[in-house]
Amino acid sequence: MPPAIQIDQINKSFLSGRTTNYALNNLSLIIQKGEVFGFLGPNGAGKSTTIKLLLHFLRPDSGTMQIMGNTIGRDEFRHQIGYLSEFPCFYDHLSATETLMLAGRLSGMSKNTLHIRIPELLARMGLSDAANRRVGGFSKGMKQRLGMANALIHNPQILIFDEPMSGLDPIGRHLIKDIILELKKLGKTIFFSSHILSDIQALCDRIGIIHKGKLLYDGKLADFIQNDHLEDRFVAMIEENDRAAISH
Amino acid sequence: MQQSLINIWVLALSTMIEGMRHKALWAIVVFAIIISMTNIFVTNLFSYDLGKVSIEFGLSSVALTGLLLVFFLGMKILADDLEHNRIYMLISRPVSVGQYITGKFFGLGLILLIGTTIIGLGSTLSMKYVLFRYAPFVPPDFSWTTYVMALSCQWMSLLVVLAVSFLCFCFAKQPFVALLLAVSSYLVGQNLELLRRVINENPYTGALAGQEKLVFALSWIFPNLSYFDKKSVAAYGLLFSGQEFLFLCLYCISYCALMLYLATLLFNRKELA
Ligand SMILES: Nc1ncnc2c1ncn2[C@@H]1O[C@H](COP(=O)(O)OP(=O)(O)O)[C@@H](O)[C@H]1O
Ligand SMILES: [Mg+2]
Repeated sequence: MPPAIQIDQINKSFLSGRTTNYALNNLSLIIQKGEVFGFLGPNGAGKSTTIKLLLHFLRPDSGTMQIMGNTIGRDEFRHQIGYLSEFPCFYDHLSATETLMLAGRLSGMSKNTLHIRIPELLARMGLSDAANRRVGGFSKGMKQRLGMANALIHNPQILIFDEPMSGLDPIGRHLIKDIILELKKLGKTIFFSSHILSDIQALCDRIGIIHKGKLLYDGKLADFIQNDHLEDRFVAMIEENDRAAISH
Repeated sequence: MQQSLINIWVLALSTMIEGMRHKALWAIVVFAIIISMTNIFVTNLFSYDLGKVSIEFGLSSVALTGLLLVFFLGMKILADDLEHNRIYMLISRPVSVGQYITGKFFGLGLILLIGTTIIGLGSTLSMKYVLFRYAPFVPPDFSWTTYVMALSCQWMSLLVVLAVSFLCFCFAKQPFVALLLAVSSYLVGQNLELLRRVINENPYTGALAGQEKLVFALSWIFPNLSYFDKKSVAAYGLLFSGQEFLFLCLYCISYCALMLYLATLLFNRKELA
């Protein structure tokens, strides 16, 4: 069986003016089915870029990516993917229910199924009261929770979350954590990025650490921590890498 | 129904709902209705041909508001989709770029249809009033059928401008540049027929002398909007054949389809970051 996500020697650079900014450098990753994979890295490390490449919003300079054996950019497999963006943004003048209706219909679901599924999901996200309110008036946390409902609406096998916990209050974070654990029990594959270490520690089987576009570590969370604090190990690794770069 | 048609329909519907709830739309429409009501006072300033002035005025107000809708509401909705990354929530699903663009186009086209209808009704009312009050000035061959056909042509020319704006939008990196491009191609399209006539009928056209073919080609590349301008036909009650109307419909459909196809090609190469 092919792995859930396979990233093979991806390079990606951005042109900004005359200089080229190398956002990803020879990145390779394999995520097996049913795994919860935490993608860890400081700001600007290249986490969102990787995720946007996986969703084919960006095109790689070189390298290939596959999801469940389907090559990205060639095969149609997007009904199996649920995506939560770093800054979820919706149509301001549609209500929460209408937004999810649009999302579900685009994923090939029938109206009847959605009439049952949408209230359930909104209730799970604590948005029942806001079901018929326009999304333009939602707070950042409410938008984030609606974004989560939007990612889950079509019950996808693979979930890709870009900083799902950022900008949430403790209650909201707890909710998202619970949902990720629930999805894990259901055997879904979850790939999420974060720079909040405690969340990673509570949820992940395996982690990848990325810094300045390079993968520094890829393996079991337990092997990485080695009786130390995750935070200390993480900071030590990043600093060591920076020092090595300077001495070169 | 096939999933691709569902996708286009769902996208069109949500674009339309989003646009209909936008304050900008209603500001423009109210402005237009006020303008078309001034018809009653403006026509009073003329001492002849009141009927013709009134009809031309009504159709012009539809054209003007339609352009405001295309350039301010339509282009804004498109630009916001990219700027605020709203497109991520659509394109992360099994939706092709072609379906996205077509759906958006139909949604905005429907808004234009509703706008044209409302403003058309407003001008019709004020025209009715003028024609009723100054019955002697009603153009002898005036026909409401021709008027409605002229109104539909107005809508079709707005669709063509909208399609051109889509192409400009996919071509330009900045929304503002896209707006400039769209407005200038509209102006070129609006005046092409005039240029063509000047060159064809006037032997002293300087640098452009003998360039009839170039100008003719240009008049097909840029949308030839004067074909759709049926104001005087409606105002003077001239003959407007069903055949010509059909030809205009076909021109509109094929021009829009071509623009959207090119827009899709360009958009496919765009990175959505
Ligand atoms: N659209 C873009 N244009 C130019 N540079 C970009 C773009 N997107 C990201 N980058 C650059 O790529 C690097 C990685 O960014 P990103 O993947 O967003 O980091 P993060 O890990 O915080 O999500 C950063 O240096 C950023 O400046
Ligand atoms: Mg990021």
